[in-house]
Amino acid sequence: MELFFQTLLNGLLQSGLYALVASGLALAVGVVGIVNFAHGEFLMIGAFLAWALSTFLGVDPLVSLPFAALAVFGVGALTYRVSIRHVLLAPELNQMLLTFGLGILLQNLALIWLGGNTRTVTTPYQGSSLSLGELSVGGPKAVAFGLAVLILVALYGVLYRTTLGRQMRAVAQNRRGSQLIGIDVDRVYLLAFGLSCALAAVAGVLVATLLFASPTVGLVFALKAFAIIVMAGLGNLTGVLWASVVLGVSEALVQTYVPGGGGWSDAVFFLLIFVTLVYRSYRGAR
Amino acid sequence: MNKMLLTGVLLALSGAGAVKVGALLPLSGAGSVTGQAARNGYLLALEEINKAGGVLGKPLEIEFADDGSSPAKAVPEFVKLVTVDKVEFMVGGVSSATSIAVSGPAKQYGTFMAWIGAAAVPVEDAFADHKYFFHYHPWSYYNFEAILDYFKHLRVTKKARNIAIAYEDGPFGSAGINDTVAAFKKAGFNVVMTEKFKTGSGNFGPIVSKAKAARPDIFYWVGYDTDALPLVTEIKQQNLQVGLIYGTPPSWPVGFEKNRLAENVAGLSLWLPSSPNAQSRAFVNAYRKKFGTVTEEYFAPLAYVNLKTLAAAINRAGSTDKDKVAAELAKTNTPTPFGTLTFTPSNKTRYQGFKAGNWLSFQYLGDDRVPVFPLKSAKKTTVWGK
Repeated sequence: MELFFQTLLNGLLQSGLYALVASGLALAVGVVGIVNFAHGEFLMIGAFLAWALSTFLGVDPLVSLPFAALAVFGVGALTYRVSIRHVLLAPELNQMLLTFGLGILLQNLALIWLGGNTRTVTTPYQGSSLSLGELSVGGPKAVAFGLAVLILVALYGVLYRTTLGRQMRAVAQNRRGSQLIGIDVDRVYLLAFGLSCALAAVAGVLVATLLFASPTVGLVFALKAFAIIVMAGLGNLTGVLWASVVLGVSEALVQTYVPGGGGWSDAVFFLLIFVTLVYRSYRGAR
Repeated sequence: MNKMLLTGVLLALSGAGAVKVGALLPLSGAGSVTGQAARNGYLLALEEINKAGGVLGKPLEIEFADDGSSPAKAVPEFVKLVTVDKVEFMVGGVSSATSIAVSGPAKQYGTFMAWIGAAAVPVEDAFADHKYFFHYHPWSYYNFEAILDYFKHLRVTKKARNIAIAYEDGPFGSAGINDTVAAFKKAGFNVVMTEKFKTGSGNFGPIVSKAKAARPDIFYWVGYDTDALPLVTEIKQQNLQVGLIYGTPPSWPVGFEKNRLAENVAGLSLWLPSSPNAQSRAFVNAYRKKFGTVTEEYFAPLAYVNLKTLAAAINRAGSTDKDKVAAELAKTNTPTPFGTLTFTPSNKTRYQGFKAGNWLSFQYLGDDRVPVFPLKSAKKTTVWGK
């Protein structure tokens, strides 16, 4: 029984990281209406920033978190200005190809400038944990989970309690109508895309602390984030947390209780995408 | 103007007929630490070879290609080196998966391969009938022999009985896993857990929870450098009480030794810079002079030995004829940083270089990798965590 509860706890803690990555992607899809295949690469930039600040300046990754978020917000805003805004009215395939290409470009720039080595960050709390009886709660993962909940609550607050949020929702619903009532749509898109990249960077800082920084570190998390936003419903921010928990816990259960489950765990998110899409299509047909 | 033209013609003539070697390495991706270490080894060897007169009277040339640690990228890079760059010999080859992928084109073009990595048995199967395949790195069963000897020593000295195994699900980790389990059992150990994982996923929570329930004395993992820190972090966070964490990645993450979570983690290496062997000392000095640092990755001296012995064989053969070079390389009997290198048959291939006797087990103690087994090479005794 202890193994079962520890497994649930492992899944729950892992889901915090997933939710952080997916919340940014959900924002890009929900507000800007663009499927950002380069989302994992913005995470990678955040991870490398945390590593660089820690290694060269001795800055703790948690302290560097707002700086990384701000810097990647800038990178995201710049990316929006020079590329994304030009394809917003283009067919979806063009948008996808653009972000896919951006992802490859960023990954290869990282490879050229930083090399392919795995970089690790050392912190005094890396191996810290809380004991709940026989159960262990990893400190950094608990922080990631708490941060994910806080960020999602804050995002929800921004979207439903502020003028900017109302503008974002209006733009997401009807771009032309929003323009007609005087909303600066371009500014809203820029802020939303920048914010989505900043959220990826926050996840990246935690990934660097928990795992490592490397040019390819974002790919795995971006794939899982896609599964989460599909489960939550494209652009549905409130569904991101529960969908992340479903994915994290499912993976943990498969890893623990399915023979050879470690090899199957990465198939879980494909299975969840498949089941979700089939169920939605079945429900729609009825 | 005339002087420039003459210089150009002379350079072109000196380059004509120069021996070209292709090096296929994982300069990016999961095996990049190993690949870059090997690249430095080749650059050092190249400099020494060309200072000593080159190969067949011309400066030796080396073309590097990045296989990206991916079979899908390795094959076109290999084919390009052989057919477009027209290299006469291939060196490198770190990952087992990429080596299996290039075995088809290698046989198709009859490529001469002096290969430094790829320890998995399926690679041995793939190259069993290739008459120009020289394998420098020990096969995985030789690695395992060395590990088993160490674990048997721990059984006597530390009463180690129970082993938990975690292995990555690619050819590197999976090939021979059943034989590994059987061999541990035959040696009197209880294998209390055997779990696979996806390398680079970083999600070790469930595996460590299972290990905790199984109460092992030794946690043995087979994966890549990307897995090292996430795994030891999870072990620490879940407070898994284990005598020894033992890993066999081809390389360790950059700066891992500085992380306090690395303390007492053990691993396997063909070589350590602290080796007292004269060739090893000479290599360390030459490497430090060229790169300003000391490497702890054994693939650096392995690549160095690889290119030096290949160049020597071509010089002895007096031509680039593959049969003549193979005959000369097969006669190699030379001291190296790893001990004496000779080529003898392995279970399936004709030319196997280093074997079980060359391995060292080390532990991260302080900021260093300290040899702890075999006892003749040990500088400290094993620090046991239970």
